[in-house]
Amino acid sequence: MNVATHRSDTNFATQAQAQTAMRLLLIEDDLEAASYLVKGLRENGYTIDHSADGRDGLERATSGGYDVIIADRQLPELDGLSIIIELRKNADRTPVLILSALGTVDDRVHGLKAGGDDYLTKPFAFAELLARVEALSRRASTHATETTRLKVADLELDLLARRVIRAGRNIDLTAKEFQLLEYLMRRPDQVVTRTMLLEGVWNLQFDPQTNIIDVHMSRLRTAIDKNFAKPLIHTVRGAGYMLKTPEAA
Amino acid sequence: MAQPTFRLSSARLAALYVIIFAVGVVSLLTAVYFLTARVLDREVDAVIQAEVNGLVDVYRQGGLLQLIGTLHRRADSWGRTGAVYLLANPDGSRIAGNIARWPSQVVANNQWLEFDIDATERGQVVSHPVRARALALAGGPTLLVGTDILERKRLASRLRNAMFWCASLCVLLGTTVTSIYSRGVRRRISSIALTCETIISGKLSQRLAIENTKDEFDELSRTVNHMLDRIQQQTEILRTTFDSAAHDLRAPLYRARVRIEETLQHANIPGNARDTMEATLLELERVQRTLGTLLQIAQAEGHGRELSAEVLDLAALTHEIVDLYQPEATQRGITLTARTPDTAALRGSRQLLAQALVNLVENALKYVPQNGHVIIELNSEPGEIVLSVADDGPGIPEEDRERVLQPFIRLERDRANTGSGLGLSLVAAVMRLHRATMELLDNHPGLIVRCRIPASRAA
Repeated sequence: MNVATHRSDTNFATQAQAQTAMRLLLIEDDLEAASYLVKGLRENGYTIDHSADGRDGLERATSGGYDVIIADRQLPELDGLSIIIELRKNADRTPVLILSALGTVDDRVHGLKAGGDDYLTKPFAFAELLARVEALSRRASTHATETTRLKVADLELDLLARRVIRAGRNIDLTAKEFQLLEYLMRRPDQVVTRTMLLEGVWNLQFDPQTNIIDVHMSRLRTAIDKNFAKPLIHTVRGAGYMLKTPEAA
Repeated sequence: MAQPTFRLSSARLAALYVIIFAVGVVSLLTAVYFLTARVLDREVDAVIQAEVNGLVDVYRQGGLLQLIGTLHRRADSWGRTGAVYLLANPDGSRIAGNIARWPSQVVANNQWLEFDIDATERGQVVSHPVRARALALAGGPTLLVGTDILERKRLASRLRNAMFWCASLCVLLGTTVTSIYSRGVRRRISSIALTCETIISGKLSQRLAIENTKDEFDELSRTVNHMLDRIQQQTEILRTTFDSAAHDLRAPLYRARVRIEETLQHANIPGNARDTMEATLLELERVQRTLGTLLQIAQAEGHGRELSAEVLDLAALTHEIVDLYQPEATQRGITLTARTPDTAALRGSRQLLAQALVNLVENALKYVPQNGHVIIELNSEPGEIVLSVADDGPGIPEEDRERVLQPFIRLERDRANTGSGLGLSLVAAVMRLHRATMELLDNHPGLIVRCRIPASRAA
């Protein structure tokens, strides 16, 4: 469970943040948990402000300048959902990650309907939070352009022709393997957790008792990396997977 | 369902009531009729008897001549009082009186008798019934004294008619009233049953309607409502206790986990301490998972809370999940197949149904040996979708099938397993939430879990 150290191996992320350090706002009333989160996120190169109640949090959030807001669902003064609704009313599109101790399906639906961008149930692995914050901050900085081709190193994925080519060689994938690869290739050099894959590829939010995702990934890995010198798909211990460009490795 | 039984019982009660009512009315009227007829008969008989006695006295004191004189005077009364007199010779020829000759069937033996005589009324011959007494007087002549009982007979028949109509009307009225009443009873019982069904399905805030009729139903409804208030109160207490307990457990778990993870980030931790901490993290994860499942069960059980339901395609969802577990099954040497129609639309919670399917598949994969089979089947039937997950594993003994649906029940064979014992109870809770029925059946060998889920009412 060497959770956060993958960061120090990954120059890419630090590069991206070195240019303009990502600014986060954490609105969380559990002070002890908040202090650990602040510390952990700082160590991973983020600039982070902390707010202990909803009203203060909303004030800070509206003053702007944050790349991602992490808000607890239940807060004193003003709850997390109201903050999001308030922000969205003012056409503020800052990505919001909702943290919730309730963790029921309904809450998730409500949270996302209110305008939240992602939802995480407490207690979570810090790596999970880190991966999701990163995904949200990347999404905010890169304007999603409609592409029909994705390219990472010598791996190419043609969305129209549903074709995968690596170093000029055609690779046959099943429909699900193709979707998995697409998900990874849209997030190069980012940690992608197993639950992110379940949500993104299968549209399922649940807690698998077995390592089903690993089985799928190992199949994809065999198809993509087996006959090539430089592996692209890497396991990030205690966190998930990463499609790494060899230059960044 | 209970419906036909009470429908029958209320109708049966109504029919019984009508029968008792009809028998009562008919016997009452019959008694009245016979009593009235007897009174009338007695009156007629008393008048005739008095007349006979009078005439016998006249004969005894004044002889035949005086009797003839009296009879002459009396005979005029036929038209007015309907009295009939005849004094005849032993051969039947008339001496005096207002009928022509001695009726052939009459014997003068001082007995009561009835016979008909013909009389002309407005040019028509009408047969008149006569009640009379005939006796032989000392010295040979016979005397007949009677009275026309046509009017009395007409009265009796009119009385019979009136009574018949009266009885019919009573029965008709009784039938109508009782059927209206029994329909009313049925309606109220139906409405009570319907409300109860809604309450059973989780809407504990529902109450029985009080119609202010101040009858037993209102009394019963009030008592049931009172009981529901109490139950709701207690469930609410239980739920808030559970929710806050779950919340209070989650916060420290969360902190413990963050703390351990944070500490693990520091490189200077000796290897064995790192191992211990990582093992502790795994344990925390298990506790978290069990707690999460319990929260899900609690949520699925509803407590009257509505879940955000959507129209979803269970066939597509089944294929997603089979697809997800296919490699895992292949690795274990198990054949996992899905047989579904093209679409199977229903209203429900996608997340909870997905979790239920996953639990069923994981459960099956856990117990089925190598070279075994797991088949997920969906069938669209009128009004419902039947989901069956069948395997050829060891199955569950019949006596345990009910039990395994309860939380934390693990069978003997699972002692070695690390499962929380919540898998099937979560499935059961999810199915209850979707108003589905769930049964565990024998697959000879193996287990079939069959859920009948009401299909989408939405278009």
